[in-house]
Amino acid sequence: MSVLVQNLSFRYRHFALHIEHLQFESAKMTSIVGPNGAGKTTFLKCITAILPVAKGSLFIDGRDIGAMREDERARLLAYVPQEHSSIFNYTVLDFILMGRAAYLPMFSTPSARDVEIAQEALDFVALEHYAARPYFQLSSGERRLVLIARALAQKSDVLILDEPTSFLDPKHETEILELAKKLAAEKQKTVLVTLHNLDMAVKYSDAMVFMKQGQVVASGRPDDILDEALLERVYEIKMSIIRYNGRKFIVI
Amino acid sequence: MNNRRRRALGVLIYSLPLLVFLLSLLFGTVHIPLKDLLKTLASPLFPSLKQGLPANSLIIIFSIRIPRLLLGLAVGASLSVSGASLQALFKNPLVNEFILGISSGAAFGASLSMVFLGRSFPPQISAFVFAIAAMVIVLVIARKSDSPLIALLLTGVIVSAFFSALLSLIEFFASPYALQALFYWLMGNLWRASWGDLAISLPLMGAGILILILMRWRMNVLSMSDEEAKTLGINIRKEKLLVILMTAVITAAATAIAGIIGWIGLIVPHLVRMMVGVDNRKVIPMSAALGASFLMIADNITRSIASFEVPVGIFTSLIGIPFFIVLLKRSKKVWL
Repeated sequence: MSVLVQNLSFRYRHFALHIEHLQFESAKMTSIVGPNGAGKTTFLKCITAILPVAKGSLFIDGRDIGAMREDERARLLAYVPQEHSSIFNYTVLDFILMGRAAYLPMFSTPSARDVEIAQEALDFVALEHYAARPYFQLSSGERRLVLIARALAQKSDVLILDEPTSFLDPKHETEILELAKKLAAEKQKTVLVTLHNLDMAVKYSDAMVFMKQGQVVASGRPDDILDEALLERVYEIKMSIIRYNGRKFIVI
Repeated sequence: MNNRRRRALGVLIYSLPLLVFLLSLLFGTVHIPLKDLLKTLASPLFPSLKQGLPANSLIIIFSIRIPRLLLGLAVGASLSVSGASLQALFKNPLVNEFILGISSGAAFGASLSMVFLGRSFPPQISAFVFAIAAMVIVLVIARKSDSPLIALLLTGVIVSAFFSALLSLIEFFASPYALQALFYWLMGNLWRASWGDLAISLPLMGAGILILILMRWRMNVLSMSDEEAKTLGINIRKEKLLVILMTAVITAAATAIAGIIGWIGLIVPHLVRMMVGVDNRKVIPMSAALGASFLMIADNITRSIASFEVPVGIFTSLIGIPFFIVLLKRSKKVWL
């Protein structure tokens, strides 16, 4: 499913986000990058309707995101937050089961089929032996994987990950991005991810969106758009791009 | 805990209210032997069994003990379920059922009735009306805030303080006789149980508890951050409002008839979480069962401990506070 952004505006105090036109294709992983305060997370929160957006500015396969009910939206679009901060220490399986909420009426509990779907999601992130383990006993990397598994249990076509690799070591960072890439390539999902690590973004993304001060500066395939002038314009520092083994690396 | 032990614990907790209810029928100032008790219980079906029974045993069992136990069962379950539900909703295991100003509203309502409307008018009606009024005021004030949960907690504190001040004002003007009745009511007890009162309060408490039990899994999702719950597909405004309204109704119905019985909503859900974990699919119904049993047992103790009856609200506070101190010290083990 493709996501279309058209004349999206959001204003909060002195910050304004405005995006004229953007399209995210299915079976592709798109990274949204830019300096702190560029509006990346705000943009994701608009797409997921966590923040209020005007009708007619966001569409999934032609359907207006702003006009959908929460459960309809959650069946199309899953969001993986940076962190989960509940005080209650649910087991990993109970936690992932919450991804089924959009499919269940208010007065019901998950069925055996829902448990099966949650277990499959857990298998997909290779944490199948952690089902009964309390969530807060996991490492940061494992917790991110569980958050992704919960989003997978939503069975949505669009997956949105907000800085999924922050505070992770290179091994876990790679693991998460490999998984995101796999979801786009194998499960045909539209994957949107905000990242700070530009090298990782270049390596794993099919497309990149550069943002600054609430606006899109450039978007397209990394090879097509990435150059030193763009980096300086976005980050306001000089960076060099070197080529090695056919890949672009950014050196500060 | 392995599956077998967990299942055995579940069976024990769910059968406890019935066991305690039946055993409690034996407790009271008048001793009724087990044989007479069984005959009395069976007598509506087999009238011939009434012969040979002490004259007052039918009245004691059917008009005093059963209504009182039913009230203890319903109030204990109500306070525990509303405590557990609000703790999930506010993502805070220290929240109790009185934070929405309900108890202060009820206390004010009851005092208003007792002092100005006299004995002929039941204080429960006024207590219920003001408990709901306090909750509506809290919800209306907190409605438009950026962080509704914090606003709700703060507004609850403010509205409680306001109704407490009004209560003090009424106490100031009350006659010594009315003041005595009022103090006894405020301490919380179950002696007012009658079939007439139960006919109104039991359906209210029953319906509220049932709806909250039906929402038990939803409470897991509602205990996530608002952003998470929303992106998981929940209409958080609608569902939170429903939970808050149901907790308000059952707390108000319980408080209106039994006065202020504190700590149950805090102790019971914690005990359940310590035994079976934090999944609300178990916590909410087990809190109902354990809360009901706990209050019936507490009432048995306060009725039997001395030659006069100690208000059960005093007893729950006396054991609740040390329990809570221990709980705070062990907090990591309990919640994390």
